[in-house]
Amino acid sequence: MRDKFIVFVFITFLFSFSLFFLFKEDKDISKYERRKLVTSSSLKKDVFGNLDDYYSDQFPFRDEFISLNSVINRYLLRDIESNNVYVLDDYVIEKNYPMNMKSVDNFVNKINYINEEFLSNSKVYLSIIPDKSYFLDDDKYLKLDFDSLINSVRNRVDVSYIDIKDLLDLDDYYRTDIHIKQDSYFKVIEELDKYLNFNYKEIDYKRVNYSNFYGASSSKVPSFFKPDDLVYLTNKITDDVQVKHLEFGLKDVYDKEKLYGVDSYDVFLSGPSSFIEIINGESENSRELIVFRDSFGSSLVPILIPFYSKITVVDLRYISLEIVKDYIDFDGNDVLFLYSTLIINNSSTLKV
Amino acid sequence: MVFSSISFLFFFLPLLFLIYFLTPKRFRNYVLLIFSLLFYFFGEKWYIVLLLFSCLLNYIIGILIGKNKKKIYLIIGLIINLGLLFYFKYTNFFIENFNNIFDLNISYLKIILPLGISFFTFQNVSYLIDVYRKDAEYQKSFFSYATYITLFPQLVAGPIVRYKDVASELKNRKESVSLFSEGVIRFTLGLGKKVIIADTIYNMCVSIGGSQMSVLTYWILALGYTFQIYYDFSGYSDMAIGLGKMFGFNFKENFNYPLIASSITDFWRRWHMSLSSFFKDYVYIPLGGNRVSKFKNIRNIFIVWFLTGFWHGASWNFIFWGLYFFVFLILEKFVFKKYLKKGIFSHLYTFVIILFSFVIFSVTDLKELFVFIKGMLGIGVPLVNFESVYYLKNILIIFIISFVLMGPFVKNIIIKLEKGRIGKLVSGIEILCILLILVISISVIISSSFNPFIYFRF
Repeated sequence: MRDKFIVFVFITFLFSFSLFFLFKEDKDISKYERRKLVTSSSLKKDVFGNLDDYYSDQFPFRDEFISLNSVINRYLLRDIESNNVYVLDDYVIEKNYPMNMKSVDNFVNKINYINEEFLSNSKVYLSIIPDKSYFLDDDKYLKLDFDSLINSVRNRVDVSYIDIKDLLDLDDYYRTDIHIKQDSYFKVIEELDKYLNFNYKEIDYKRVNYSNFYGASSSKVPSFFKPDDLVYLTNKITDDVQVKHLEFGLKDVYDKEKLYGVDSYDVFLSGPSSFIEIINGESENSRELIVFRDSFGSSLVPILIPFYSKITVVDLRYISLEIVKDYIDFDGNDVLFLYSTLIINNSSTLKV
Repeated sequence: MVFSSISFLFFFLPLLFLIYFLTPKRFRNYVLLIFSLLFYFFGEKWYIVLLLFSCLLNYIIGILIGKNKKKIYLIIGLIINLGLLFYFKYTNFFIENFNNIFDLNISYLKIILPLGISFFTFQNVSYLIDVYRKDAEYQKSFFSYATYITLFPQLVAGPIVRYKDVASELKNRKESVSLFSEGVIRFTLGLGKKVIIADTIYNMCVSIGGSQMSVLTYWILALGYTFQIYYDFSGYSDMAIGLGKMFGFNFKENFNYPLIASSITDFWRRWHMSLSSFFKDYVYIPLGGNRVSKFKNIRNIFIVWFLTGFWHGASWNFIFWGLYFFVFLILEKFVFKKYLKKGIFSHLYTFVIILFSFVIFSVTDLKELFVFIKGMLGIGVPLVNFESVYYLKNILIIFIISFVLMGPFVKNIIIKLEKGRIGKLVSGIEILCILLILVISISVIISSSFNPFIYFRF
C-alpha cells in the first residue's frame, strides 16, 4: 500500500505538471525578471539546445517556485544575502561588494580624459550618489568602504566635487528599487546649487502617485513585498518642454505609458536613453547644462529643467562620446558628472 | 541532459515512463536504448556516433573473444578503448607538458571531451576482460549490448556498472511497484542531495571568491569543496541507482557514507566503490596485488593510485590527488595501521586528510593550490576576519545539514521508528518529506534559471 502510494504521488506529480505545461500558453515576458522568456518559437531554431531553457522559463507556477526558494533561503537556511541582495526591514538592498579598484581607476581615467579633451572651457562638477548599501550596518554586512571609494575618485579627478552622501537617508530610496525617490532629490538640488549657482528656488509641483511600483530589486527576492509609491512631479514647465531623444524622437519628460511596462521607473525621461536634449523655451536665462549620468539621473534631471534653457543628458553606457561630441556645445557651459557607486564599481560599461 | 533539469524531469522521464510501461516486455530494451541515445544526443549531439561505434566495436570484439578465447582480441579491444580515451581526454595534456619540458610550440588539438567517455570506456573494458576470463558470457545481441553501455541512468556519471552484474537483468528483469517505489525514494533523495545541498554550497563557495582571505575562509572553502563534491557525486549515483530500480535494474552501491570513514583505507572502501573495485579487479590483482614482495606491492599500489588520479582528469592536480592517497594508504598499511582503530581520533584524522584531498581535487592551478594550502595552514593570512565570519554565518545551516547527513544517523532513526509503535505515522511523514524534497528541489532548479535582468539599469 505504502509503495503504491509513493508511486502514485510521484507519477501524479510528474504527469500533472507535464500536462499542465503542454496545455498552458507561453508567457513572453517575466515581469519579475524583466526579461523575455524563452518561448516555443526558439525550439524551431534548436530544439536540443533550447529545450531546457524553454521548460525552465515556461514551467507552470514558475514565479511561485522561485518565491518558495527565496523563502527557504531566507527563513530556513538563514541566508544573510540571496541573489546578491540583502533584505533589511522592508528594504531590498543590492550587495555592491567587493571594491573593484580596476573599475574605480577606469572611471577616474574616463572622467579625466573627457575633462581634458572636451571641457577646458567649462565649469565641471562631479557628484557621487551612494547606493543603498551605504546605509547598512558595518558590522553585519559586506559593503564597500564608501569613504575610501569616494576619496579615491575625488582626489584623482581635476573637477569640483560635490559631496551629497550625508544628505541622504535610506528612506530617500525606494524600498524595492535601487533608485532615489524624485521628491527626495530637493536637498541634493540645493547642494548642487551651491556649486553650480543656477539660482534654485522652490517651485510648485503637482505630485502624481503611482502606487503599484515593484522595483528592480524586488525581483531578486520575489516574495511578499508591498509595492512602492512612485511619485513624479509635474508642472507647466515639465509639461511644456521639448524632450528630444536620439533613439525615440520627441517625448514627454514623464513617459506615462512606461508606468505599466516592465519597469515603471522608466517613466522618468523614458528610461534607458543614450542622448537627450531638453529645451526649456520658457527659461528666463540662457544657461545650458550637460549631465553625464546613469539611471539615477533620470529622476533628478527633470527638477533641474526650470533653471536652464537647455539640458543635454548623456548616458555613456549606451553611446560613445566620440559619436555625440559634435552635437554638444561644451563651451562655457556647466557640466555635471552624476554617477552612483554601483556604476563606479562596475565602470567597464562606460564608453568614451 | 542532466537528471536535475526541468526538461529531464517533466519531459523526458514522463514520456519514457509512458512508452516504456505501455510497451510489451520483450521490446522494452529497445525503448530504453532509443531513449538513452536521445538522452545522450541532448548533451553531445554528434558524439553519439562515437558512442555507437564504440558499442559496435566492443560487441564484435566480445564475440571474437567469446568464441576464440584468443588474447590478441582482448589486447586489440583494450588498445582501441584506451586509445580513444587517451586521444579525447589526454592528448592536449601531453602536448602541453611536451611543450613545457622541451620548449616546443606544438599546437593544441581542437578536441571536445565526449560526455561519459571515462565511464563507458571502463564498462567496455570490464566487459571484454570478463568475457576473456569467462566471468561473463559474450552478448549475442547488439541491441542488448548497446542498451547496457548506453543505459542512460549510468551513462554520463556512473556508477561503473559491470556487464556481469546486469546481464541477467538485461535479458529478464521484473519491474515491480515496490522496486519502483524504492527507486522513487532513492532518486528523490539523490536529487535533493545534488540540488539542495551540493549546488547551494557550490554557489556559496563561488560567492566567497575574490574576498579577503583568512585561515577561516580557507577552511570554509575546503569544507565546502568536500561537501559539494560528495553530495553532488553521491547524489548523482543515488539518482542513477533510483532510476535503474524504476526500470527493474539493481545497480551496485557506489557510496557508503565515506566521510565518516575511520581511515583512508576505509574511505576508499566507501567512496566511488565502482571505480575502486574496477582498479582492484582489473589492475591491482592482475599485477599481483599484495601476494608479492613488499616492493612490488608498493609499486602496485602506486600504479593504481596514479591511474585513479589520472582517470579523474587530465591535469597534474588530479595526479597529485591520486598520489596523495597513495602516500596515506602506504603509511596506513605499513606504519600506523594499529593506531587507527575506530574512535574519534581516527575519524577526525581521516576527515582532515579527506578535506585536504578535495582542495587538491578542486584547485586545478598548482600555484593557487600552493597558496590555498599555505592559507589553510595559517601562513601569511590572518586567522579570522570580518568576511570569514560573515560567510560562515551565511553557510552555517547548510553545513550543519551536511554534517548530519554524512553518516547513517537519520536513516537509522527512521528505520528504528518505523519498526516501533508509531511506524505508520513515521512512514507517512517519510512520504511527505519525499514530496517536500521533490518540491524544494524543483524550486531550486527553477531558481537557478532565475535571471533578473536589472544590470542595465544602473
